[in-house]
Amino acid sequence: MYQKSPTQEWASSVVRYKKFPGSWAWLLHRITGLGLTAYVLVHINTLASLQEGPEAFNAKMQVFMQPHWIFAAWILFGLVIYHTLNGIRIVIIDFGKGAKYHKQLLYGAVVIGLIVFLWMGYIMFFVHTDHDFLSNIVSFF
Amino acid sequence: MSYKYTGSRGSGSMSWFLQRISGIVLVFVMVGHFTLMHYNPEMGHLYDRVYERMQNPYYQMLQIAFVVLALYHGLQGVWNVYRDFKFPSWLNMAVLSLLIVAGVGFGALGIANILHF
Repeated sequence: MYQKSPTQEWASSVVRYKKFPGSWAWLLHRITGLGLTAYVLVHINTLASLQEGPEAFNAKMQVFMQPHWIFAAWILFGLVIYHTLNGIRIVIIDFGKGAKYHKQLLYGAVVIGLIVFLWMGYIMFFVHTDHDFLSNIVSFF
Repeated sequence: MSYKYTGSRGSGSMSWFLQRISGIVLVFVMVGHFTLMHYNPEMGHLYDRVYERMQNPYYQMLQIAFVVLALYHGLQGVWNVYRDFKFPSWLNMAVLSLLIVAGVGFGALGIANILHF
């Protein structure tokens, strides 16, 4: 009979395990946290070009002003805003009485997060660039 | 040498507490960071704007604190995730060492970026 490897067993148990809203909040917090930590390391490394002088830094930053990088930065902001709002939720749960209404806190965080995310997208694509939103999206793909 | 459960003294309550405190501080610094860097496209993307800000030693101190806190919070978080799984103790030591080296190395690079001005 076919035997699952320990890794397959673990993976299927993760999939099968019933996920409540709090489980999704926990899982997303970890995934966004790992992503943001990786980004912080890349970010510090990129800013090392400050030590090479104005030309090197400005040339590097010019790359990140291209539409597909602005789009990537917007997605990154999505990770930041989720991790921030859910982090505040965790602090309220741990230090306050948040455990009694942790689901409501999550729904509130998602609604506020989506509004701030879209607002930031408006700033990045409409206010801060010469391109319009649609051409940014098209050039990304 | 191995990393294993060391009794109640090593329960992780201090790292739990510090993760919350550093997180709370980071929320405030992040709001300032995003407002300042993205108020207009030039703020974070032109050398001259960075140079002007970095002339203020208090701003430099804030940036150093930001680098240290962000790295601590992030790498401690990676360690928290890792410790939820069971791995051989040699791997625990290797991962912990790697995280510490990454923290010290990238911390030094980040602080060097700031003190360059």
